[in-house]
Amino acid sequence: MPLADKTSDRAMSRRSFLRGSAAFSGLTALAASLSPLRELSDFTSTEEFLQKYYKELSPDEMTKVLQRIERDVQRQYGIRPHVRDLKPMDGVEFVYCLNLTRCIGCRKCVHACVAENNQSRNPEIQYIRVLKLPHGSLDLEKAEHHYEAKEVPEKGFFYMPVQCQQCENPPCVKVCPVNATWQESDGITVIDYDWCIGCRYCEAACPYWARRFNFAKPQIPKERLNPEMAYLGNRPRRQGVMEKCHFCIQRTRAGKYPACLEVCPVGARKFGNILDPESEVSHILREKRVFIQLKEEMGTSPRFFYYFDK
Amino acid sequence: MAPSVPTPPENSGAGTNALLVALTAAFGGLALLFVADLWGHTPAGPKIPLVDPVFLETKPWRNSYSDMVGAKEDMSDYDCYACHEKAKPPPIRFDANHRIIIPKEHANIEMSHGSHDRNNLCYNCHHEANLLTLQVRDGRELKFDNSTPLCGSCHGPTYRDWEAGAHGRTSGHWDAKRGAISRLACVNCHNPHAPHIPTRPPAPGPHSLREAVAPAAAHP
Repeated sequence: MPLADKTSDRAMSRRSFLRGSAAFSGLTALAASLSPLRELSDFTSTEEFLQKYYKELSPDEMTKVLQRIERDVQRQYGIRPHVRDLKPMDGVEFVYCLNLTRCIGCRKCVHACVAENNQSRNPEIQYIRVLKLPHGSLDLEKAEHHYEAKEVPEKGFFYMPVQCQQCENPPCVKVCPVNATWQESDGITVIDYDWCIGCRYCEAACPYWARRFNFAKPQIPKERLNPEMAYLGNRPRRQGVMEKCHFCIQRTRAGKYPACLEVCPVGARKFGNILDPESEVSHILREKRVFIQLKEEMGTSPRFFYYFDK
Repeated sequence: MAPSVPTPPENSGAGTNALLVALTAAFGGLALLFVADLWGHTPAGPKIPLVDPVFLETKPWRNSYSDMVGAKEDMSDYDCYACHEKAKPPPIRFDANHRIIIPKEHANIEMSHGSHDRNNLCYNCHHEANLLTLQVRDGRELKFDNSTPLCGSCHGPTYRDWEAGAHGRTSGHWDAKRGAISRLACVNCHNPHAPHIPTRPPAPGPHSLREAVAPAAAHP
């Protein structure tokens, strides 16, 4: 006892040292655990937090929302975008046709899509996967999307790009617990990125692996940002939400072709209105050997058709 | 403190203090490191290079004759009668295997239209009486910038598909009410002397962040 007293007189007692260091390390641990908050530079604004469901927004409210998005994008990227809310057109139902005889597997569509739709470059998010398959079978188990050839097409293989099939009976829509994704009257299944809670049920439900999740904060270089945006389309996404191909809604609902079609060097991609009997896709479905709706047996009834020339 | 705890006398003074101070300093240092976020951060992923803008190019890979005229390029190569004599069709020579012999003046021409060199006669398409035009077998004479009907005279089904928009590249607007649609001519993609589309290097594949093993083994 006298010895212990002697020590505590000269310096601290063991108990107070332990107490002090425990308190200190506890505080530092708390600070460290809170430190990720420092990265939350862009808090969800009250405006965004209180925003109504997409289908309940009045035109005035929609204008305000679009302005809010434009401000957010400008603050983040220093570029003033042009964000629109394009509605489906009457008498239009979109269909995509892809010519498997012509596709050479050059993957230009993949990157044109990324450039058009402001996907994250790091981590990488791509909507289109080009599958390489050996001739003579359509066994997807033999498909390969990591092929690294010097030159394409390679002998003995054909290529099958897969993206969102815009199903008539979409399983992803059925499983969404908050109705953040739905099918519009022109056949495009859209996502409201402000309503998505990131549960990824839709990703699990999709038989085509067409949906992508933003695991990390998306990174897009300023100089590669496409400023022509749509609310349900290519406006920048947040971390923690789903995204997928939306047939380039910002282009197609303005009458243009999707970006993947424009860039295809062999004209393997065809797009149009199936309700117009004069359209290219109507001609193809009528005249060509359209053999496949991918994974037809799933009963999803895709609006994406693969066809052959010969 | 229990009085029964024996404390070695030689260890009680300066030694304990020094130890405690050192421990405090060590803990403080660790805490600083911790706060500075050197630990507890997931390592940054590998850097993914941006794709070469070459792969985003939407222009067709060939210039047709009319494109060259439009761009006011040097058309002296197309002035046939700078070398050839008028009203005297140049002769066509074949080797023993009935392969066409391409004269050195035309060495840039690769003749491989049709399999097994079946279509190797220049005058199947060129007009022997007027080298500045093309001829269709039915007697029509076409200018170089209007070669599509000539192609269609043999490739009927493909021509039909092209007219309907099912073959070949289109760009612009799917909705004619909103804007024009532009359709390329055959020679914008196909070299008429060697129409098969050449192979090319593909754009980079998906980054294999999720792949634990190199994907090459998946080949059938």
